[in-house]
Amino acid sequence: MVSPAIPAAARRDRLLVAAVAVFVGAMALFGGGYFVYLLNLIGIFSLVAIGLNILTGFSGQTSLGHAGFFAVGAYASGVLAQRFGLPFWLAIPVAGALATLIGAAIALPALRLKNLYLAIATLGFGIVTQKLIFEWRGVTGGGAGLQVPTPQLFGVPLAEGSRMTWIIWATLLAGTWAASQLASGRTGRALIMLRESEAAAGCIGIHVARYKVVAFALSAFYTAVAGGLYANLVRYINPESFSVNMSIMFLAMIVIGGLGSVRGALLGAAFYVAVPEAVRGFKEAPGLIFGISLMLVMILLPGGLISVFRRRKPARAAAAA
Amino acid sequence: MISQLIIGGLASGSLYALIGIAIVLVLQATEVPNFAQGEMAMFATFVAYTLLATYGLSWWLVFPATLAFAAVQGVIVQQVVIRPLLGAPIINAVIATLGLNLALHSIAGMIWGNQTNVLTSPVAHLPVFQLLGVNVSPDSALTIIVSVAMIILFTLILRHTRAGIALRAASQNQSVAKLMGIAVSRSFAMAWAMGAMAGAVAGMLVAPILFLDVNLMGALLIKGFAGAVLGGLSSLGAVFVGGLLLGIVENLLGAYVSGTFSEALSFTLIIVVLIVAPNGIFGRVKSQKV
Repeated sequence: MVSPAIPAAARRDRLLVAAVAVFVGAMALFGGGYFVYLLNLIGIFSLVAIGLNILTGFSGQTSLGHAGFFAVGAYASGVLAQRFGLPFWLAIPVAGALATLIGAAIALPALRLKNLYLAIATLGFGIVTQKLIFEWRGVTGGGAGLQVPTPQLFGVPLAEGSRMTWIIWATLLAGTWAASQLASGRTGRALIMLRESEAAAGCIGIHVARYKVVAFALSAFYTAVAGGLYANLVRYINPESFSVNMSIMFLAMIVIGGLGSVRGALLGAAFYVAVPEAVRGFKEAPGLIFGISLMLVMILLPGGLISVFRRRKPARAAAAA
Repeated sequence: MISQLIIGGLASGSLYALIGIAIVLVLQATEVPNFAQGEMAMFATFVAYTLLATYGLSWWLVFPATLAFAAVQGVIVQQVVIRPLLGAPIINAVIATLGLNLALHSIAGMIWGNQTNVLTSPVAHLPVFQLLGVNVSPDSALTIIVSVAMIILFTLILRHTRAGIALRAASQNQSVAKLMGIAVSRSFAMAWAMGAMAGAVAGMLVAPILFLDVNLMGALLIKGFAGAVLGGLSSLGAVFVGGLLLGIVENLLGAYVSGTFSEALSFTLIIVVLIVAPNGIFGRVKSQKV
């Protein structure tokens, strides 16, 4: 159901965005190295979560191949910067555009697939992408990995301190705003309709195929931009990391946060980065504690972490779920 | 040469098929794709290993004991993790099984460590034999025979026992099944037990061929899913054939086209097949009420 309360939700989004911006700004100014690094990762994975949410949360198409888009973004921007000397602020959008095209192309065969069939087909895309990066050694460096040059803005190297944090969170802010606009606008409503019933969406004049392609392309764009930022943050990328597990974790992230919610995407990304870090001290335990917390969140908060904030208005939570 | 490759493909394919069947048994009953299937099977295989290596029991005891463990494991997972999630969106249960997967992985690491172990096959002492002029290793033969036996057994249980028919009814329509006096929750527990047993058998079969460590089932789980989807998720037979096909195709592509790209090529092939047949090769299209 399309809730009539969207303007109110949008206002709360703005509040949240402002709060997050103040928090991140303060942290970036006063916080120290490791904490800032975690903030950077949260920002990057939030972008992925928002992107995947457009596809899975809004339009209801499950993807287990988003590590592929993330890898395309990371490698395309890395290669453009390293071999062609493109500045990062140009390389990342180009990488994003490339991934958008790939996303739209992937959407075409995906039009007829549903549920687990779609999940496995997209998983196949992820595996093929990872393999191609491994074997295309001349360009990607193969298994030896790829060094990405230090990103610079107006001659200022961004590697030091919290400078990347500003770039990442500014991008996230823009991405969050755009996604909120999208969600409350015509496209968002069409995608939600698509999720609820393709047949009904078709009947009321929504071009099902076109909107599916749009969802895939937008989702790929967000994820690839995040990948590009990631490559510029860590400055050494290896195909090993863009595995099926990463795709699965992306999916876990958005469900934990709250499917179909832009703010939930941020919470999910924070959970995904922070919980394993918080329990790092225990030897074998991170996997165990993270695994158990995934189960607990799903059982206790079926609507994801975001439902904590929605408790007071259960009726609306049910309408938005 | 080619028949050799096909036999090898059949052996790995029947492992994919077993995992695929384990997944589909649970999927048909509860609609949950079980991403913990791999680690559940790995865990059961380690139990078998402990019984064999530490307690020195024979395979004749270890096999049924492990199956019993797997059945209990399946029921516990259903009751503790999945049952509270019935009625919530399916994706929640999927993420919960994912959490279970991570948890089991690290628990197994804590108990058995991260080193590789050797699980001796029950047919390790038999020589390689010839069948119609093709060399067949006893391990391959055992894998194929046991998996075929498992699928026949499961099909018979589902078709001809009261519990099996109840399970099929429960998976078709929960509320009607409940009204007809079927204990739906018990039926689902049975599906999970059967799935866990199929997985455990796959684990016990694959561990002697590879080495036994906590990462045993990671790749196999993905292949199990892929094989099941290739065949079509609507019947156990389709899943079985899909798994076998995947194993054979992978082996042939690896030998004749490209060794390094065999996995990527098989997934490309799966995507192409799904474009033509969106519900798998033998899948029936589920008609949907609008």
